[in-house]
Amino acid sequence: MSRLKSQSTALTDDPLNDICPVCKSNRYLNPTLQFLINPECYHKMCSTCVDRIFTSGPASCPVVGCGKTLRKKGFHKAFFADLKIERECDIRKRVGAVFNRREDEFESLSSWNDYLEMVEGLIFDLVEGTMKEKAKAEETLRAHRAANAKEIEDNKRAGLEAKDVELQREREEKEAVRQRRLAILREQEEDKLDVEKERREMLERLARGDGDANAITKHAQKVILKKSSARRNLAESNFADTANGSAPSNLSIRGLKKKVAPKAELAYDPFGGLDLKPARYTLQSSYENEWLDNAKNNTLHMAGGYSMNEYYSRTMFEAFSGLGIFIGDQVVEKSLPAAPATIGTVGAAEAAGGRLRQEMNTDDVF
Amino acid sequence: MISNIVPEDARYLSSTQYRLWSFTPADLQALRTTTNQFAADRVREAVRRAREARALSSADVSDADPESKSRGASALPEGEVDCLTVEEELKLITYFCRQTLQLGDHLNLPTDATAVQYIKRFYTTNSLMTYAPDTILRTALFFATKTENHYFRLSKFAEAIANTKPEDVLASEFLLTQGLRFTFDVRHPFRALEGAVMEMGAMAQGAVPYNESAGSQPQDMSRRVKIAHGVARDRLKTSALLTDVYFHFTPSQIMMASLLLADEELIHWYIASKFGTEDPMAQKILIVLSDCAGMLQTIEPVAAGPTTERKAISALAKKLKKCRNPEKIDLVALQKVKREGDGVEDEKVIKKRKMEREKVAREADELFGPGLTTG
Repeated sequence: MSRLKSQSTALTDDPLNDICPVCKSNRYLNPTLQFLINPECYHKMCSTCVDRIFTSGPASCPVVGCGKTLRKKGFHKAFFADLKIERECDIRKRVGAVFNRREDEFESLSSWNDYLEMVEGLIFDLVEGTMKEKAKAEETLRAHRAANAKEIEDNKRAGLEAKDVELQREREEKEAVRQRRLAILREQEEDKLDVEKERREMLERLARGDGDANAITKHAQKVILKKSSARRNLAESNFADTANGSAPSNLSIRGLKKKVAPKAELAYDPFGGLDLKPARYTLQSSYENEWLDNAKNNTLHMAGGYSMNEYYSRTMFEAFSGLGIFIGDQVVEKSLPAAPATIGTVGAAEAAGGRLRQEMNTDDVF
Repeated sequence: MISNIVPEDARYLSSTQYRLWSFTPADLQALRTTTNQFAADRVREAVRRAREARALSSADVSDADPESKSRGASALPEGEVDCLTVEEELKLITYFCRQTLQLGDHLNLPTDATAVQYIKRFYTTNSLMTYAPDTILRTALFFATKTENHYFRLSKFAEAIANTKPEDVLASEFLLTQGLRFTFDVRHPFRALEGAVMEMGAMAQGAVPYNESAGSQPQDMSRRVKIAHGVARDRLKTSALLTDVYFHFTPSQIMMASLLLADEELIHWYIASKFGTEDPMAQKILIVLSDCAGMLQTIEPVAAGPTTERKAISALAKKLKKCRNPEKIDLVALQKVKREGDGVEDEKVIKKRKMEREKVAREADELFGPGLTTG
């Protein structure tokens, strides 16, 4: 594994990354070569060099012109290839451990933002600043740590607790999911057994030969169906219970929105809510009409699928469609905003009003 | 009142006839007045422009096109243009609607009722002075055969009408559809009449139960229903089409009103048997029906117009000829210009396209088809 990894890095990175700056040993010769850094000075060297130089106690950094005293304990593998980023992350960790206030400790959002900006400025000074700025920032950090040691400790604990609670909740959720899955499996198993039992009984009864064979099989099927549907209903009601019961337990998390069960979607209505059942007439199965006699008795006419009922329903519908619509009234009512009619309210009012007039102003096709 | 709307009415409310083509009488009158004023202004403007152009062309006689000059001269009236009023326009529209019905009868087209409604709808937002009714009439009649699914070959159609070429019919087709606001559905009362008559027939025979509070059936009901059927159908075929009832009432109301004119007692009983005598809705419907019947009575149910009006109509037609918008007379030419552009600077484009077409055709004949690169 490590071999593979090192090979792949050897392929992609530039050759400088493969040579230890201290002992000049090469990855080509030593495939297990591993580089370590120390957050004191972020100078890279191979693990062999670290062992060689620092096993016997603290020593100065072997890189020319550095001379910082390093300990073996401080060395670790860099997480980022870019050591600048590695360093910034370390600094952020260090500052974050001291300035660990939370948002709810502040009275307003703007003061919280001011605090964040202050911390960010400090971090910037530490990362990118000149010697002087760095020293100053270090000094503030130290002073703050000394002044607020107790609060920092409290916040640290609170943060850990919050993390704990979160972890706990996750564990509980996982457990619940597992239990549910087990229950479902168990139920399915029981179902299967039940059906099997029923079937065996039926076979036995058939073998014994009491009663009509057809009746027995039919009865058995009915029983099985009834049982399975009963079980399904039970399961659904159970599920509903648990869904209701679990709601008030997670109180520790703040700011979570209350969950609202999604509305059950209605079946698709192609007529957009229009009722097609006639209210002013009842359609008869047949009407007398001398015009239709010919069509009724003519196979040539009926063979194509012509349906008298279609004709009846259409004529009757048209006879009463719009009988109760009074155009003057409706146009007036449409202009009222509270009119509950949703159908076709736009057109006629507009047609009667300004739009047509504007259209006339626009030039015609030619 | 709207909250307890019945399904039949709800379905009618969703139709374009209700949404776009229903007006109160006052609204319709206002709309027609505006249309008329706009058109009159445009006619005056166009005539002024045409006169200026003629004055220019007569100044240099040398290269004046004799044909266009003579046509322009004949089309341009002298003096101030005397435009049609709204009432005069309406009279002429009614006359041309009658013409449409006669032409439909002549060609044996069952779609003339739709054509008449198209003409009436078209001339609510357009004026006779802008677009000549005789061309619109033909287009509407032909167009109605399409929308009512009654196929009629264009060349045959043009042949059957005197002095008509297929281009004449097609030239104003888009204009018409635009005037109709692209709504082609016309709800007629004819089928409704069949429905009502069938149900009343069934009631007379006791096959359909009805509200007993309406009292006993009128005497000799089935015979009366038959007679009323015939009378009402004649009304619907003429009066209903030529008046404005389609704009002001629903097809069901128009049908009931025409039956009311045929046999008042019968329809009063029929409405009562549906709603009960005390129902406020029934009272209101009866009021509306009598309004509608009054409007239907303004035009007698005969195919030909009254002879007394003939003189007035011909006078109006002459007046119309004098106040036509000179820029919109030749619709065929306008259509051609619109379709092919002005022809001068576009010639290059046309030539280029032709070359490209030929090139593509040549390449397609090659063994491996045209090259893969395009452009």
